[in-house]
Amino acid sequence: MELDAIIEDYLLGKLNAQETEAFEQLRRNDATVDHKVVSHKFFLESMGTFAEQLRLKEQLNHIHSEIDVEGLADALRPHPSKIVQLWRKNKSVVAVAASFIVLSLVSIYSIQHNSKQEANYEKMSRELSRVKQSQNNLVLDIKANTQHNSPKKANPGNFGGTGFAVSTNGYILTNLHVVNGADSLYVQNSKGESFKVKSVYTDPQNDIAILKISDKHFNGLSTIPYTIKKSISNIGENVYTLGYPKDDIVLGEGSVSSRSGFIGDTTQYQVSILVNPGNSGGPLLDNNGNLVGIISGKQDQTEGAAFAIKSKYILEAMRAIPQDSLGVNRLGINKKSLLAGLKRTKQIEKLEDYVFMIKVY
Amino acid sequence: MNNSLKSSVPTDREVILGILNNSEDTLNKLYKAYYAMVLQFILNNNGDEDDAKDVYQEGIIILYNKIKAGNFELSSKLKTYIYSVCRRIWLKKLNLNSKKAGNITDYEDVFAVEEDVEHHEEKDAAFVKMQSALDHLGEPCKTIIQDFYIHNLSMQDICEKFGYTNTDNAKTQKYKCLQRLKKIFFQP
Repeated sequence: MELDAIIEDYLLGKLNAQETEAFEQLRRNDATVDHKVVSHKFFLESMGTFAEQLRLKEQLNHIHSEIDVEGLADALRPHPSKIVQLWRKNKSVVAVAASFIVLSLVSIYSIQHNSKQEANYEKMSRELSRVKQSQNNLVLDIKANTQHNSPKKANPGNFGGTGFAVSTNGYILTNLHVVNGADSLYVQNSKGESFKVKSVYTDPQNDIAILKISDKHFNGLSTIPYTIKKSISNIGENVYTLGYPKDDIVLGEGSVSSRSGFIGDTTQYQVSILVNPGNSGGPLLDNNGNLVGIISGKQDQTEGAAFAIKSKYILEAMRAIPQDSLGVNRLGINKKSLLAGLKRTKQIEKLEDYVFMIKVY
Repeated sequence: MNNSLKSSVPTDREVILGILNNSEDTLNKLYKAYYAMVLQFILNNNGDEDDAKDVYQEGIIILYNKIKAGNFELSSKLKTYIYSVCRRIWLKKLNLNSKKAGNITDYEDVFAVEEDVEHHEEKDAAFVKMQSALDHLGEPCKTIIQDFYIHNLSMQDICEKFGYTNTDNAKTQKYKCLQRLKKIFFQP
């Protein structure tokens, strides 16, 4: 006990110089004493810190008691209304639940929608069988309907489609649906010159019309560069078309994808060319510049399925016109195409003059 | 209330200088300045007023000790520092009680103060150890020790307070108490 008292006095600096020296001597000689000094020193430090923290805490508590905690808490507390509180706390849960509901509604809706489509599809297939059984006439009706639906109608003041020359003296071939019901017809070539034309022949069965330029400013064309391909084209054959879906001539490329057209129409090819309103009546040519068909329409719901009337029917239509009036330089079968072996760009350069925009008023 | 609180917000420099000079007034102002902020944070994150008090006081003590230790560099606003520290402490407490701490609603910017908080926790452990040692001591030893070491009473005062016949008796008693306390304190 005596020793402890001395140690404490030593550490607190209460010993006089002589006593300090004597004690330090003792400390050096006796390891136990030294150990006791160190441990007591540590203890005193801990106690000091403790005291300091305790005082600080008391001070803080004192300050805290001055604050109107209740008042502040009421102001800052989450909203007292339970519902609002519930909403704030569970915002994310509510959001998840809501999105789940929306999702399920959407999926229910889409399921219903899908089943509706299936119903439609069945209906169409029934129609198809009816078509097969009934007369040729009905096929035409359906065809007429689809063409009616496509926006290539004769809009007053708008251009109606595309056409191409079949003879040098101004006979132009196009789709009947382009020019059907027109008051007056004009064609415009790639240079921008307009000529008045009149319809001289229509073939409603094959949707073909032949127009004749009746304008006295028309000087005639040079030799028609393309020829008619008599044989049926193979699937996969590269084909292209030129047309006027806008004010300038536009190239569309693709290949023959089927030997039959809309719902099995054998007078048409299906081609994988993206066509737009205005492409109707455009020439469909193969790589060698042989006329394969006339672009006539596309299917509503299917992407990349356009239809072209087979070239055979172009010949038939041309035969219906008095052969004398077509002149010598007309579109033929046996001649060699002037486009054969040329690059696509060169071919188009030559073709441009023979493809016309049909303007319907 | 709110207005008077806001008007008395001391500048950060004032706070640091005041604490270094042991200014009670500064501590008072500091405490009142940011209490509302922490209270709001705790109340809106699964806590109550008592939690807010504990956490806030701990935060203030951390700041106080850091300033006292002289290694406080003002790298951010004091407000942000206090908020970050209190936030850290509260998150730890929530974790400890395995309460939901998923969505913390924040009201201020936050920056990393993990080191300070952990440093404080070590210190706090020593504090708790001393506190529990004292509690184990029992009366009258506890009061004698507290009076001598914490309230800095002289042996003469203690002698009178406890009615010992002379200071030597008081001293003997104190040393006995001290021995026991040290024994408890140094127990592993």
